[in-house]
Amino acid sequence: MSWFLLLLQTSFRNIFSSFLNLVIGLIILVGTFFFVVGGSLVDSIDKGMSRSIIGSVAGNCQVYEASSQDSPAVFESWQIPDLDPIPDFSKIKGPLMSDPNVSAVVPEGINTAIVVYGNTIDQVLEKLRKAVSPGTRQPKAVVDSLKAHVRQMVSVIQTDMGKVNQIAASGSFDPQAGEDLKKASSNEFWGSFDSDPFNHLEFLENKIAYLIPDSDQIFLSYVGTDLDAYQRAFDRMEIVDGQMVPPGHRGMLLSKYDYEEMFKLKSAHRLDQIHEALTEKNKKIAKDPDLQDLVKQNKLQTREIVLQLDPLSSQKAVSILQGTLNSKETDLSKLLSAFFDTDDSNFESRYKVFYDQLASLVELYRLKPGEMLTIKAYTKSGSVDAVNVKIYGTFQFKGLEKSGLAGSESLMDLMSFRDLYGYVTPDKIAETKALEKTAGVSFVSRDQAEADLFGGSSDVEQSQQKAINDKAEMGGGAKVKRVDLTQRVYTQDEIEKGVAMGAAILLKDPSQLKATMKRLQAICDKDNLGLKVIDWQKAAGNLGQFVLALKIILYFATFIIFVVALVIINNAVVMATLQRVREIGTMRAIGAPKSFVLGMVLTETVVLGLVFGALGSALGSGFVMLLNHSGIPAANEFLYFFFSGPRLYPGLSLGSLIGAFIVVLIVTCVSALYPATMATKVSPIEAMASDE
Amino acid sequence: MPKNTEGQDIVSIQNVIKEYHLDKVVVPALRGVSLSVEAGDFLSIVGPSGSGKTTLLNLIGCVDVATSGTVLIDGHDTKSLNDRQLTDLRLNTLGFIFQSFNLVPVLSVFQNVEFPLLLQRKFTKEERAKRVDELLEKVGLDKHTQHRPSELSGGQRQRVAIARALVTRPKIVLADEPTANLDSVTGENIIDLMKEMNRVEKTTFIFSTHDAKVMSHANSVIRLADGKITDGKGAKAGAH
Repeated sequence: MSWFLLLLQTSFRNIFSSFLNLVIGLIILVGTFFFVVGGSLVDSIDKGMSRSIIGSVAGNCQVYEASSQDSPAVFESWQIPDLDPIPDFSKIKGPLMSDPNVSAVVPEGINTAIVVYGNTIDQVLEKLRKAVSPGTRQPKAVVDSLKAHVRQMVSVIQTDMGKVNQIAASGSFDPQAGEDLKKASSNEFWGSFDSDPFNHLEFLENKIAYLIPDSDQIFLSYVGTDLDAYQRAFDRMEIVDGQMVPPGHRGMLLSKYDYEEMFKLKSAHRLDQIHEALTEKNKKIAKDPDLQDLVKQNKLQTREIVLQLDPLSSQKAVSILQGTLNSKETDLSKLLSAFFDTDDSNFESRYKVFYDQLASLVELYRLKPGEMLTIKAYTKSGSVDAVNVKIYGTFQFKGLEKSGLAGSESLMDLMSFRDLYGYVTPDKIAETKALEKTAGVSFVSRDQAEADLFGGSSDVEQSQQKAINDKAEMGGGAKVKRVDLTQRVYTQDEIEKGVAMGAAILLKDPSQLKATMKRLQAICDKDNLGLKVIDWQKAAGNLGQFVLALKIILYFATFIIFVVALVIINNAVVMATLQRVREIGTMRAIGAPKSFVLGMVLTETVVLGLVFGALGSALGSGFVMLLNHSGIPAANEFLYFFFSGPRLYPGLSLGSLIGAFIVVLIVTCVSALYPATMATKVSPIEAMASDE
Repeated sequence: MPKNTEGQDIVSIQNVIKEYHLDKVVVPALRGVSLSVEAGDFLSIVGPSGSGKTTLLNLIGCVDVATSGTVLIDGHDTKSLNDRQLTDLRLNTLGFIFQSFNLVPVLSVFQNVEFPLLLQRKFTKEERAKRVDELLEKVGLDKHTQHRPSELSGGQRQRVAIARALVTRPKIVLADEPTANLDSVTGENIIDLMKEMNRVEKTTFIFSTHDAKVMSHANSVIRLADGKITDGKGAKAGAH
């Protein structure tokens, strides 16, 4: 229609005819700019996060036993969902793999273990025991060095105890412990050590070791899985330290992130953190309270290092530190404090000295690939089970190295997992069920167990000692079994024929997720597998809802912006219309119907909106491109996960462009509606009014 | 005295009273006016400010309706028409020339003239262009078709307005003080042009003015004072 073309043309020409139009235009420009940028960012985070979630544990979708109370939440290791087990994984793998879009089905189960680890003195005493035992006997120099190390530890603890005594009320300190310490530090004790080493060791192990509690409880969250299948399916996974668990073997891979966080010497880990903040995040110790806190902790917490060093190493450390600090101080602890008291100018040189010279004197990691770890976990029935697992190495996900979330779970072979979870075979399930039926008995025993664990003592040290003793017992008890199990090679059949808590499903074409899930659910229903299929977003628990939350925030903010815009635009169009009363009156006088006037005001506002909306979208797109070029750095580990890497390179999202277009259309139409109706009421008489 | 061939009344006004309400005060603008205009007339309405000239033109121009009395435009009683019908009457039967030209500032000369034709929606693009070009040539603006109104002089603008008023070939063209914003020479030229159109196109022209020189071009003159016709055919009609 030619008069519509005229309307359009009039509209375009009217855009810059009034200052008010410029105001309207700018509002729309800013609104669309934020809409496009925000929308693209959210979409990119959505994509990044889905890459992180899908690529690390969840897979494209997950199946789990339909009768379960909860649904899987693969990233919520702090709260293990209550899932019923899938009794035989091998029975579900085949049917699920039959779908043409499924590339892998990986059995998974998530649990959290308690690892009581540490006590340097235990480790040194064990070394000493070995050094004096027949068969593993070491030269006298080594034995002497170890003896000196133990003696040094005793003196450290004696000093500590003295301090505690000064602070604490008298009588709170067990006088017997004081006597024991005195004995362990006496020359007579060490003089007679060589004549009867085992009795002396027993005394040290039983009476002294518990007084030096530098052990701690580590909560280790892990995924029990078919490790080979897992490695094939999640190709972002890579081994960092050590090696992959050999096929069919029992074993565990620690997440590199957890390994650094939990098993590295605390002082060293803190140095790493400061180093990273300074070099990669351009932070300054002087300005960042978190970094200052790390420095302070390093200054105060030198005991972990002091305890580790035998007298010879101590001497070396002292001379290194004296040289570095240009100091005459001889106390190692004080030297270390001074050494760790860093600022922006000297940090990097100290960092270098630490790793080049001091690190070789201490154990940087209290657990090394190849060593055994005793994992204690709560079984489904609530009791605690323990398994010794060999740590083969550490792993990380490419691009997610710095993410604590992606690295929140270690990997364990399915056999050990089943042992720990308390479900070994269907027979065992039946057995457990039978036990549950005779509830009376099991309740009593459980009560007793609880009383044993928590009721008996209120003294922390005592319970800690108990924990250590428990560990020792278990370690001893499982010794024979352990050797057998670590060497045993399981066939694929053995791995697959058994319990799994769920399975991650990886797809060849991820874009077909919804359709594939439908087909998979149909397969499960048809074959009576009793499984439920959920997508990665749901499987990720609350984390998966994060993007949804982001979207809601974005849309809400946009909504507010545009509601405000609506009001302002409405007012501006009213004013612009009032300015044009003569023109509108003339058109009416000449013969333009009301509908024409209505259409004119609407078209003009919409055209104005679209022109500035397009401009805003273009600017927004440009900005997104710019961000795409430079990337947005992930400021913390959460963002690292959401960005699926150290930087987010946002892509322009078509959805937000279309969304911006629709929103502008709606906002301008609605805001012009009132002024447009008002304009139709302009009388043609207005045209006749003279200028005066 | 009108010497037109048609001899048919194209405008017929009977005992028209028009009152405006300003707050609670009633202001009479026309106090019983009767008037008939023959087709093809070139009629001038004169009178001092506030005499009711513009009100009378508004009633004839169908942009306003009388408080009482009848107004027949080309046989249509304006009181019985709704807004849409009045609009159509203005579009198809009437043409307007305004004191301040009232061109659409963002449209070119050509588009301003074409505008009523577009509203009529009954001509093709070519037909419209032909008519517009013809008229612009007649008003001497064929060299300025793509100019914006702001690029033209006052006289030129009023020529555009005349072309716009005539482009639909209306039966009546109303002009409210068409020369008031122009100097005397230009004003004279505009009146000559209107006269020419009146002669060639046989269009009835009704214009208000208080310029004696302009008045002298009219075929017939009506004098208004205080909302009443004091002289001219209205007075004659009123004497019936």
